[in-house]
Amino acid sequence: MSTAASWTDTARREARSSLVDVGHLVRFRVGTLPRRTLRGGLVAVLAVTAVSAALPAWAPGAGDPDGRAGDLLLLLGTGLTSFLLLGVLAAVTGGGGRELIARDHAAAYPVGATADHLGALLLAPLTIAWLLQAWLLLGATAYALGPRPLLVSAQVVVVLWLLAATAVAQVVGWSLEAVRRGPHGVRLVRALGLAVVLGVTGLVVTDRLLPLLDASPTTVVVIGLASPPGMRWGLTVAGLLLASLVAVAFGAVPAHLAARRLPADEARAETGIHRARPAPRSDLAALVRLDRASVWRAVPTRRGVLVLAGGPGLVAVLGDLPWESVTVLPGLVASGAALLFGVNAWCLDERGALWRESLPVGPGTVFTARALVLAELLLVGSLATVALAATRAGVPTPGEAAAVAATLTVVMAQVVGASMRWSAAHPYPADLRSARVTPAPPLAMVGYSARLALATTLTGVLFSLLARLPGWHVPLLVAVPMLCWSLARLARQHRAWADPLVRARVVGAVAG
Amino acid sequence: MSAVPLPTAPSGPVPGTPGPGTTDVAVEVRDLHVRFGAVEAVGGISLTATAGRATALLGRNGAGKSTTMRVLAGVVPATSGDVRVGGLDVRRERLAVQRLVGYCPDVGGLVSRATPWEHLQLAGRLRRLGPGWEDRVRDLLERFELGGVAHRMTSGFSHGMGRRLSVVLAAVHEPSVLLLDEPFDGVDPIGVEATFDVVADARARGACVLVSTHLRELAVEVCTEVAVLRAGARVATLPAARMLGEDGAREYRSLLD
Repeated sequence: MSTAASWTDTARREARSSLVDVGHLVRFRVGTLPRRTLRGGLVAVLAVTAVSAALPAWAPGAGDPDGRAGDLLLLLGTGLTSFLLLGVLAAVTGGGGRELIARDHAAAYPVGATADHLGALLLAPLTIAWLLQAWLLLGATAYALGPRPLLVSAQVVVVLWLLAATAVAQVVGWSLEAVRRGPHGVRLVRALGLAVVLGVTGLVVTDRLLPLLDASPTTVVVIGLASPPGMRWGLTVAGLLLASLVAVAFGAVPAHLAARRLPADEARAETGIHRARPAPRSDLAALVRLDRASVWRAVPTRRGVLVLAGGPGLVAVLGDLPWESVTVLPGLVASGAALLFGVNAWCLDERGALWRESLPVGPGTVFTARALVLAELLLVGSLATVALAATRAGVPTPGEAAAVAATLTVVMAQVVGASMRWSAAHPYPADLRSARVTPAPPLAMVGYSARLALATTLTGVLFSLLARLPGWHVPLLVAVPMLCWSLARLARQHRAWADPLVRARVVGAVAG
Repeated sequence: MSAVPLPTAPSGPVPGTPGPGTTDVAVEVRDLHVRFGAVEAVGGISLTATAGRATALLGRNGAGKSTTMRVLAGVVPATSGDVRVGGLDVRRERLAVQRLVGYCPDVGGLVSRATPWEHLQLAGRLRRLGPGWEDRVRDLLERFELGGVAHRMTSGFSHGMGRRLSVVLAAVHEPSVLLLDEPFDGVDPIGVEATFDVVADARARGACVLVSTHLRELAVEVCTEVAVLRAGARVATLPAARMLGEDGAREYRSLLD
């Protein structure tokens, strides 16, 4: 009889060891955070979760099967499907998921691909997109079912769905990353993306998208969550638990496959030739050129802008959004684009920050160049979204055109101002080579994204209301004081950057 | 305040021996203190370095060598003390000082997603290099065996290649004060020789060179004098020859303890 360990024993040992490793890494990461920030962040997230899971049940009309609550219950299946699809998009864009410990730092330790996969799963909910969708689903469920005893059992099902969908999305993310790193992988993944876009467009054109969504298997989950605790509810819970466990375990397989392959995008970027261009004509042009190279040659930035520019634009086209609703999009896209590097804008220089700071150029010029390059990135994403939306929304009225232009201008100034402020106040070292890297730690990113999304959405909603007014004057008149306020704050940051102590702190931090 | 003109050396020096008879002070540091919060990185360093000479800064980790270099390069402001480069107060005339100085930082020093040529173009622009600088730069890149990778992103560079490019960036404008922080770290013999040549060229044209390193033997070979730092303060300045061989190693150790 063979005394060799079976593959199941090996897998079990690997899983146990990876869980222990993840525990150590989490403790290490948590240890680097200020206790108050950590406690405050956790309390805030838990409080909002509890409120969104319970409070809407007592809202007027909640639980009424013949009113809005009934309609919401019917749409809940689509909501659950959307959560899964957006999770897949996030995992694919993020190259499998975020890193619990930076790749270069992890190289010195025996941290395996399973631990990496589990770490990415743990970090997946720490984004404002994930949290917002989760809160929306919990709130919608509470409103749809009303203040009944089965609300708790229903929310248990929703939470299990969130976990299962996140784990499944992670499997898809790792699988596509493994394919992308394989022979002709980048082309294959791009072709697949194009096929998906064309397929969805075809479904919309032929009016088959909604029937397809209605027929999605998530309706079984909705029936399960709306059922009182019993056989059906129990089966739903058991099914979701099983799906979660299987997805968590199975995700390690493509994660190992991806880990064995070289990241194709990064390798291509690092070995490619960038032809020399004529000498720049001014100091500002020279600085902008180098900053632009740092932004547009970074894999996460390029991939992120593509998704941000295309995603909301596609939703606008598919959803046939009118112009007054399009005003909300530039803010969302600009907020998302700022999260690619803008909230920690000085990290672009990485270790080159020390050399750059030794160059004889005024700090004001350096600040202006960085702010311009950030604004350019936000503008490209936002304009692409608006252009896509315009293909379906038709010719805008002067009021609508003015409202969109005003929103674009104001959110640009708001987001650039906030980003440059945070970049100077909380600099972090970040190596933006990999698509799995974010410019700041996960909790900080949640805070930044929440604040940006709130400010820009409110601005978008305001101009959406103003777009309904006759004439084009009002949106522009309202935009002027908002723009002045944001520009004044940006100017204050510009002045603050002249302080050598501020710069030395930032440069020291980002240079690691 | 105007800069003290830095004289040109009458003849080429030999590495490891005192430079031409120039005694003009190019770098003057008096009672320099640098604090980062509760940590005192530099605790009262005073030193001078003269034009046409190469001075090595030696000392253990955390002795304050790199922080002193950063202050001289205008990257980190001094908490207190008087720091002058080419007669200029670094705190008040930072930009003028940065025009005089060429700085190779101790860590990385390169922008990851820019090519060496783009780094050099930025330096050329901001340092107002005149016509013909591109030919000189190409020659410098070839000497450091970086000509073949001039248009590749530096994120794909090895540590040693990065160090070599950092030295090129520090020397490209033929600065009056050359600050090299750990220039030999992980660099192959050809890169070390090219760095020696850069230091020799700088001394020959009368520039002041400061080299911070942990590699005592290389420091002795390329410098004329050695300043030993300990716990944020200078403990001795000696002729480089006294740090040679086993006797030099013993003396160095005694200064560190």
